[in-house]
Amino acid sequence: MTIVVGYVPTPEGEAALTQAIAEARRSSTTLLVINSSRGDALVDNRYAQEQEIQSIEDRLATQGIDHVIKQPVRGHDAAAEVLDAAEEHNAELIVIGLRRRTPVGKLIMGSVSQRILLEADCPVLAVKAG
Amino acid sequence: MTSLTTGLKGRAELGVSLLLGAAGVLVFLDANGLVTPYSKSDPVGPKTVPFIVAGMLVVCAVLLAINVLRGGKGEAEGGEDVDLEHPADWKTILPLAGAFILNILLVDWAGWVISGTVLFWGSVLALGSRHYVRDGFISVALSLLTFYGFYLGLGIALPAGLLEGIL
Amino acid sequence: MDVWSSLMDGFATALTPMNFMYAVIGVILGTAVGVLPGLGPAMTVALLLPVTYALEPTSAFIMFAGIYYGGMYGGSTTSILLNTPGESSSVVTAIEGNKMAKAGRAAQALATAAIGSFVAGTIGTALLAVCAPIVVKFAVSLGAPSYFAIMVLALLAVTAVLGSSRLRGFASLGLGLAIGLVGMDSVTGQRRLTFGQPLLADGLDIVVVAVAIFAVGEALWVAAHLRRTPLHAIPVGQPWMGRSDWKRSWKPWLRGTAFGFPFGALPAGGAEIPTFLSYVTEKRLSKHPEEFGKGAIEGVAGPEAANNAAAAGTLTPMLALGLPTNATAAVMLAAFTSYGIQPGPQLFTSQGPLVWALIASLFIGNFLLLIINLPLAPMWAKLLQLPRPYLYAGILFFATLGAYSVNLQAFDLVILLVLGALGFMMRRFGLPVLPLILGVILGPRIEGQLRKTLQLSAGDPAGLWSEPIAVGIYVIIGLILLWPFAYKLIRRNRPKNSPLLPANSGAADYSD
Repeated sequence: MTIVVGYVPTPEGEAALTQAIAEARRSSTTLLVINSSRGDALVDNRYAQEQEIQSIEDRLATQGIDHVIKQPVRGHDAAAEVLDAAEEHNAELIVIGLRRRTPVGKLIMGSVSQRILLEADCPVLAVKAG
Repeated sequence: MTSLTTGLKGRAELGVSLLLGAAGVLVFLDANGLVTPYSKSDPVGPKTVPFIVAGMLVVCAVLLAINVLRGGKGEAEGGEDVDLEHPADWKTILPLAGAFILNILLVDWAGWVISGTVLFWGSVLALGSRHYVRDGFISVALSLLTFYGFYLGLGIALPAGLLEGIL
Repeated sequence: MDVWSSLMDGFATALTPMNFMYAVIGVILGTAVGVLPGLGPAMTVALLLPVTYALEPTSAFIMFAGIYYGGMYGGSTTSILLNTPGESSSVVTAIEGNKMAKAGRAAQALATAAIGSFVAGTIGTALLAVCAPIVVKFAVSLGAPSYFAIMVLALLAVTAVLGSSRLRGFASLGLGLAIGLVGMDSVTGQRRLTFGQPLLADGLDIVVVAVAIFAVGEALWVAAHLRRTPLHAIPVGQPWMGRSDWKRSWKPWLRGTAFGFPFGALPAGGAEIPTFLSYVTEKRLSKHPEEFGKGAIEGVAGPEAANNAAAAGTLTPMLALGLPTNATAAVMLAAFTSYGIQPGPQLFTSQGPLVWALIASLFIGNFLLLIINLPLAPMWAKLLQLPRPYLYAGILFFATLGAYSVNLQAFDLVILLVLGALGFMMRRFGLPVLPLILGVILGPRIEGQLRKTLQLSAGDPAGLWSEPIAVGIYVIIGLILLWPFAYKLIRRNRPKNSPLLPANSGAADYSD
């Protein structure tokens, strides 16, 4: 069994990662960190750079958590990548970060979190930034 | 495998030299077929410059071949959005060229609005977009906009083709 | 001719609402394409060549000038925030600029780049306004032999001095000259390289060639090698500079301008050498040499100023002699031809109002660029997140449209594809594209001057060096061509020195 966390280098993403680490420690399962990019633009600030990944790697290693970090760039959106990973690894839990949004903002934007909440086959834990 | 591919890569650049040589010979043969009427007002004649260009191309071809065989290598051009670490991605290029050729075949018969839509839609898909329907709408809109823009703004009537009478 | 009053007339023309609007469009478009990956000012002007069918020449050139200067501003923004310089002239800016940005000083780096560009661009344009008429006065006294020699010099200098391989430069030049030969010979009326194809009798349209090489070739090349890992743009607020930044920037701006303009104005100038020289000078003169390599503001201010001054300098031979020395100037020259305007020394007399409006619009454009770049830098940076499929499909779409609209012949699109493939191949094998485009544009004119010269001397080749200036230029050409061999000899006779230039600067190539 695995816990899948969708990570982005933002406060929400950090909150999700922290929560996911706590969950993984509690149930001592493998933590799968997914940080994806559609890869269709030259710049994507939601795609973590090497140093960030390295620091997460260090953080997980020092906490003694069995972990895998993946950064798929395959033209899929973040929701699809997280759902794919959850299915593939038969996840027991998905952890995601949520942004505070007004109903109107929600209407216009359409969201990754919503798709994950609706389509996931396992429990989804949605965290907000502290 | 690796030695084979590096060997082939070296040979690929010889193709450039071959192309230069062929171009040189072509220019030479073409110039050779020209008639030089004796004329005081034009002592240089139409042949001189082509001969110089042909000679230059052939010399470059030979020197380039020597350079490549000695291990010389042209530096591929970099850029902001260019990553030279992976080889050319033919899975993108060939469909792009396909969309382009389709446009050439269609433009006179089916008209710009249709062929332009095919071109843009095909290119966007070749480049990896997966929003088929949205891209379709954008393509049609762009083709229509340029059709009317060129007609009204620049006074250029792009062919209407099959949609003649509708547009 | 009084420079001042001509320039004032130019301002009057350039500030009419219509022309001012085109200046605004030009600078906005220019900044955008400078920022956008895979697009540059040369490609953009090439893609816009079809508008020359509908627009007044003055308006069109005011817009092109805005794109030309705007591309520099936008290019510096990307190289500072991303460290992936799109053009060789912004390589040096990226060295210190990106380090500054990483150290949290992106705002200051962008500010010194923008203000320095403004200062250098304004001084450079003023120098252009003063120098160009002097060059013209000198040039109109030249006969065909000297003019022939100058054109050969420009062609060979660009080919031999710029780029990393002279051999590949000459190969590209040869291909360009061959393309320029296609069509009816103007003197005897015979068809050359048309292979019986009547559609080729008028020659290859320069619009089609420029669009093929700059737009189609480039788009295909980038599409084949798209970066697979997305980059981070360093987040930035509004650019600003503190007192100490101003104090450290103003001298590098002026020194950079002093390097940039003359190099740009030389036939083989370009912006790479002066930006690099400016960098080295600032490093030597700086009171904070230890900061170099870690984000020294002088290392952004100087090269960025040199880059823009060189851009202004490049326009001097372009307007005064009809000699383009960089890609954008070459495409702008193609636009002159497309209007049936003969470029050369006579341009200032035959098209005086147009030329002065163009120069005036450069002052205006520079000012506009400062205004739209300082407060809006964060917004421009957002352009980098534009999805690529639309970007490159858009380039192909508009390239096709532009080439097709010239004659409304599908045959032109076949040529577009063939030459686009040639452009792709050249980028793959390191053949520079600039000599090719210059060969296409200048080749026929050089042949014309050659025939004119020998006609005057009744076929005696000595006519070629019948003017002292021509002889002087042939000496310079000889020096340029023989320099690498002489250099090798000198190096062989001396013990090996440690290289002066840092390996990653890209400027080391000029020693060859």
